[in-house]
Amino acid sequence: MLQLSNISYKVQGRTLLNNISVGIRPGAVTALMGSNGAGKSTLLKIISGEIKPLSGSIIWNGKGLGDWDIKELAKTRSVLRQQYNMQMPFSVHDIIAMGRYPHFNNKLTAQCKEVIKKVSEYVGVDKFLTRNYLTLSGGEQQRVQLARVLAQVWDTPSDQRLILLDEPVSALDIHYQHQLLALVKALTTANFTVIAVLHDLNLAMQYADDVLLLKQGNNISFDTKEVSLNEENIMETFGVQASLHQAKNYPHPFITVCPVLKQYQNFATK
Amino acid sequence: MVAVLLAACIWAVGKGALSISPGEVISILCHKMGFAIGIPFDEQQESVLWIIRLPRVVMAMLIGGTLAVCGAAMQGLFRNPLADPGLIGISSTASTATVLVIVLGGTFFEGFQSMLGQYSLNIATFVGALLAMFIVYKFSQQQGRTNVGIMLLAGVAVNAISGATTSFITLSANDQQLRSVTFWMMGSLGGASWTTIGGILPFCLSCIIIMPFFAKALNAFSLGESDAAYLGIRTERLKTMVMLLCAMGVGASVAVSGIIGFVGLVVPHIIRMIIGPEHKRLLIASAFTGATLLVLADLVSRTIAPPIEIPIGIITAMAGGPFFLYLLLREKKKTVFL
Repeated sequence: MLQLSNISYKVQGRTLLNNISVGIRPGAVTALMGSNGAGKSTLLKIISGEIKPLSGSIIWNGKGLGDWDIKELAKTRSVLRQQYNMQMPFSVHDIIAMGRYPHFNNKLTAQCKEVIKKVSEYVGVDKFLTRNYLTLSGGEQQRVQLARVLAQVWDTPSDQRLILLDEPVSALDIHYQHQLLALVKALTTANFTVIAVLHDLNLAMQYADDVLLLKQGNNISFDTKEVSLNEENIMETFGVQASLHQAKNYPHPFITVCPVLKQYQNFATK
Repeated sequence: MVAVLLAACIWAVGKGALSISPGEVISILCHKMGFAIGIPFDEQQESVLWIIRLPRVVMAMLIGGTLAVCGAAMQGLFRNPLADPGLIGISSTASTATVLVIVLGGTFFEGFQSMLGQYSLNIATFVGALLAMFIVYKFSQQQGRTNVGIMLLAGVAVNAISGATTSFITLSANDQQLRSVTFWMMGSLGGASWTTIGGILPFCLSCIIIMPFFAKALNAFSLGESDAAYLGIRTERLKTMVMLLCAMGVGASVAVSGIIGFVGLVVPHIIRMIIGPEHKRLLIASAFTGATLLVLADLVSRTIAPPIEIPIGIITAMAGGPFFLYLLLREKKKTVFL
């Protein structure tokens, strides 16, 4: 269980997060959503321990985040970013093995090798373990990074695994977007706690369980996706008029955003 | 690799105005250690080997190894294969510090040849190198990644400033000081003696030996600084240690031999092409290869046009400069550069 209480953060007098208190469920995908600059990435960085909040506390597995030893924390929490800027020609295997760094000192243990094997198969990168990472396509690279991130917490007790995803699919094409999110979604059946920054309302509707909407650092809504993502909240958070459409026998509604063209339509007459 | 290095050394100590065969070399060394193996040699050979050649080869080994290790580690730290102590101004700032000590410490200079004098020179170059490294690192970091353009340009600026400072200081030097400054600046191992070796040994060796302990952290660092931290690496400690060790190693090398460029760039590159970028193997292999390469480069510098000795800095720059251009070309094809 991840409990955030009264988290606030400011940079140069500008409030980035204002008094955020939420309890994140294990075994669920929680989507962080909001327009640019709403504080999503900042909140994710605070949860990851990279930056410290000005006030408030985070309890992860019954212990304040600041009280965790950095290496012990690394065994329970891992982070996937949007894009990696690698320059060195590491092999795919070497990169996934980096995920095991908190678990061994000098040499990969048998356990580590086992985990690397399982993770590669699960993510579907076992075919190119010996390839040079730099020669892979963007989608393949991101899957390799996901494998590394999963390898980091793979054998940690089930309800103590936290995966943080910062815009994990923003640089991917539609096929890989769905593939990656489906992979991540499946993890929750093994009680992983997953928090993802997402931009696409429909992707969130499809893959998330809970949604936290942020606007200028304020908590607009935190609830299950069906409750959070209603027309009113979307208007409040993103400033766009949305409609929800429920197709017959489909598990969740679609969200369409109404045209905001009106204010631009008179260009020809100007 | 060790064998190649040893062979190169034995070959290199034998070559020169007075030729000593590998058998004689081994025989002399055994004799020094107190047992004879029966290959005859004369006394002149013994003293040339012991007083002139051997210190020089040992020095080349130490400096070659140190520069290569520092280059590899810096490339890891900057997350970019184009970092090199020479290119980004660390060597030249260290050399400014040396000139400063030689010239301003006029009385001090008397002690330059002693081990204590050597240590204080080392400290000066260490401070200079650290300063340059810190400046370039801070400038080139942009949201957790290295901006290569800024890194190289900051290097240009640091190089220019330290070059100008060096020239300025040289202006105010007297004749004797000028001679030693010029001699030293050409980048030569000609000044090698057991005393100077004693002076740099602790700095170089600790750099070469300690650096591989940071291999895992450097690997993780190549993902990005924050990602290394997510993997449980203490990134601040890593950065500080690598910078300190590099400044120490490069500083000591510059203090005795002037600027020997491109060893730190070329060697790790070749190794990476052969055995990959994993830092533990990379650092160790770079140390041996750098040592071998510099022993051979020094051999060339002594023997290519006797009795004139071509400064070794010229040789490494001649070979390394084109290599660097080739790397730039490759980088240009691969990604949007700058």
